[in-house]
Formats: sequence, C-alpha cells, structure tokens
Amino acid sequence: MNKVIILIFLLINFADFETKPDQFIARQGQISFFSYTSVENIEAKNNQVLSIIDLSKNEIAISMLMNAFIFKKSLMHEHFNESYIESDLHPKATFEGKIKDFDPLMDGVQTRMIAGELTIHGITKEVEIKATIENTEGKYLFTGDFEVAVKDFDIKIPPILAPNIAKNISITFRFEYQPYEK
Amino acid sequence: MKNNVHFIIYFFILMGFSNSVKSQGLLDTLEKEYPDTPQYEIATFKATRISIGHSIENRKKGVLEIKAMNRFWNIPNFEGQRFVADKINARLALEYGISDRLTFGSGVSTLDGIFDGFLKYKLLRQRSDKKGSPISMTLFQNGSYRSRRNRPFTDINRFEDFTDQLAFTSQVLIARKFTPQFSMQLSPTYIHRSSSSFDEDPNNHFAIGIGGRYKLGGHVSIVSEYYYVLNPLKSIDTYDAFALGVNWELSDVMLQFQLTNTRGMVEDNFITQTPNNFNFKDGNFVFGFNATFVLHLNQKRKQK
Repeated sequence: MNKVIILIFLLINFADFETKPDQFIARQGQISFFSYTSVENIEAKNNQVLSIIDLSKNEIAISMLMNAFIFKKSLMHEHFNESYIESDLHPKATFEGKIKDFDPLMDGVQTRMIAGELTIHGITKEVEIKATIENTEGKYLFTGDFEVAVKDFDIKIPPILAPNIAKNISITFRFEYQPYEK
Repeated sequence: MKNNVHFIIYFFILMGFSNSVKSQGLLDTLEKEYPDTPQYEIATFKATRISIGHSIENRKKGVLEIKAMNRFWNIPNFEGQRFVADKINARLALEYGISDRLTFGSGVSTLDGIFDGFLKYKLLRQRSDKKGSPISMTLFQNGSYRSRRNRPFTDINRFEDFTDQLAFTSQVLIARKFTPQFSMQLSPTYIHRSSSSFDEDPNNHFAIGIGGRYKLGGHVSIVSEYYYVLNPLKSIDTYDAFALGVNWELSDVMLQFQLTNTRGMVEDNFITQTPNNFNFKDGNFVFGFNATFVLHLNQKRKQK
C-alpha cells in the first residue's frame, strides 16, 4: 500500500514537472497600430501587452489595456479612449487562439497561422493571423502584422473625420516569451 | 490502513484541484499578471472650460491652445442695423501646458479692454481603479487688468491708479467623473478687487460655482454652469452667471456653444458683474461661442 502511495506521489510530481515549462509569458509585448490616409497619419504604440502561450495545447492568449497606447499627440490619446474605443466601458482588448501546426521543439524560424477570437471594443471576431515564430534556446519570439477593419468593431467615426481615419488599421506585434513561473 | 486510504483520497483531491487550476483559461492567467499601475480618469470635461468657467482639465506638456471666445447680444430697442448682433465681446487667448499639471494662459477681451493672465495647477487626479483619490482637484489663480471704462454702465472700480484696475480670482476646482457620461464640478471662488468706487461695495467676493457635463455621443456633450455669489455688489444690480451649452470635441478643434447671460469671459467680470438675468429678451440673452484650436508643439511623448 505504501508503495502505491509513493507511486501516486511521484506521478503527481512528475506530472507537475512535465507541465510547468509548457507555459511561456511575454510581459512587455509590443503592439502598434497605424492608420495611413492622405490627410493624416496616426500611429500609436503599447509596450505593456501581456501574452501567454501554452505549448502542450498550442494555445495563445493576449491581453492589453487600451489606455496604455501612447500617441504622439496627447489629445489624440484622450479622443481615442473617450470617443472611439470607449475604454471606460471596454478597458481591455484580448485575443485567444490556437497556433496551427506549431512545433515547439523546432529550432529557428517558422511561419504559422494563429486562428482565434479577437475582442476589441467589446466585440468579438474570428480572425486568422500569420506569425513568424523564432525559437532560440527555448525562448520564443513572435512577430507579425495584420489588418482589422474599423467597422467590424462598431467604432463610430463622425462623417467629417472619415477622410482622416483609415478604414483598415494595420497592426504589428512583437512578443518575447520567457518560461512562466507562477 | 485507514490512514492510507485518507492519504489516497487527499492526493486525488489535490490532483483534481491542480487539474482545475490548469484547465483555467489562459486569459484568466494573464488577468493576474497585470502590474498594479495607477489608472487615472481621463476627460472629466475634456475642454479646459466647462462652458464659461474653467474646468479641472488642463492640456498636457507642450500643448498650445489658441482660443477665440465670443459673446453676441442685442441692445434693447436698438434702431441701428448692425451685422448679426448689436454687440460683441471677443477674448483672444493663448494657453500653454508648461508641464502635464501646470498651465499658463493669457488673453485680452475687447469689451472694457480686459487683459488677463492665469496659472492653473492640477493637484489631484481621480483614479479610475477604485483606489486613491475619488475626485480631481485643480487650483486656479488669475489676475486681470481693466484698461477701459465700462460706459454706459457705472464703473464699480476707480480709474486713478494702475493698481485700481486690477482684480484677482482664486478658485479651487473639485470635480468627479461619476459615470463615463456624467461629470460634475464644484468651484468655490474668491475674488478680490483692488478698488471700489462705492464704499458700500465689498472688495472681496465669495462665490460658488456648480457645473456638469453629460456626454451624448462620441464627440458631443451638453454642459451647464451656474455661479452663486454670496456677497454681490450693492451699488448696481447684478445677477448670477448661468450657461447652458453644447460642446463639440473633434480632432484638434473644440467648439463650445452656449446660451448665457454673461458678457465677460474673465472670472471676476462674469461671476460678480453680470448686469442682466438669464432670459430671452434683447439685451439679456447672450449667445456664446468658444473656438479652441489645439496645437501639439512637443510631439515626442515620453515612452512609459
């Protein structure tokens, strides 16, 4: 009987050791967005994006505060949060998805599709994003860019400002993952 | 043996528990990873004026506001044919953010030729994360110089010496954003006039202002303001300042329209010396229009 208990104990311990390095976290991920029009170029950067990947299930999650975006013009930061993205009501943007055909053990660069649900301004959309994944000595670097349509997320732009804001906003991201210790 | 069974049950429970922790979504894990940085409420009023008086807001460092504030009204029973309105008072002003908390501004009003300068300092910022200060507080101090006599009305101050024509206003602006749509402000005000033409008039006035903003849509809000003077002038009849307005905040331009009874745009002038009450008769009804252009002189915002 005692041997059984020891066996179970060892099993649990081993199970724990197996799962711990499966999760990798990026605490200072970067997301930038750009809106290029002939009238005005708008650009903002968020350096405090959180992301986590679970290699056992090839899952990824991203979460960020919308008011952490930094604009060149301070008034634009206020307009963005108050009039467009309404960060009082929807403070965060999130993404939750799966990395398709991802091989965590492969060294070097691989390009993979990430499919999942993107939530901005309280509205969730299914998206597929192409990401470049670089694996160097057990650390992962995810980079890439994609586009979102402003109207998909119910962000209202007054007609008078329609020429100033692009219909599709391009987004670039960069995450450096470290092993996650709770 | 019984003990061993207990152990096994205990281990199973432990295993089940650790499994349930693992099956928690990755987003929930991230939720716990947010650093505890303070979150401040933004855009309590958005513009640096609620409508006629100052709000707790100030612009960030390196931002210059170019202001054209206008008031239009008619003269009762006026026989002439002036364009649009019989009388106009315009204040042209520049207001600059020295730091994120301190603003300096200066302007000139055409009616009575009033020159004014002010300093505004944001002392407390309301936190939006339910911690810290529940209110925002801004200190305001201005000085104004009246260069012309107030014909055909009675002059309430002497015009013998330069210092006779000075007045100073101190305000403690206290505001709270209650919901994303609704903000309110209380503005206790102290006004000192350097001289009085009449002995019966006080040189020091106390007033309290109350103002509110309700956001209708992304860029439009309605505002209202009222100033109650505790010890008004005695030599002339004065009325409390009132304004009802619409603010339109768009890109680099902020437009404020108001229906009011105030003709002046400098604090001591409109809070204590408004000679008419609010109604729609000629001479009493004033239409106001503030146009603000926001110029970002310092575009390199510090990366946090």
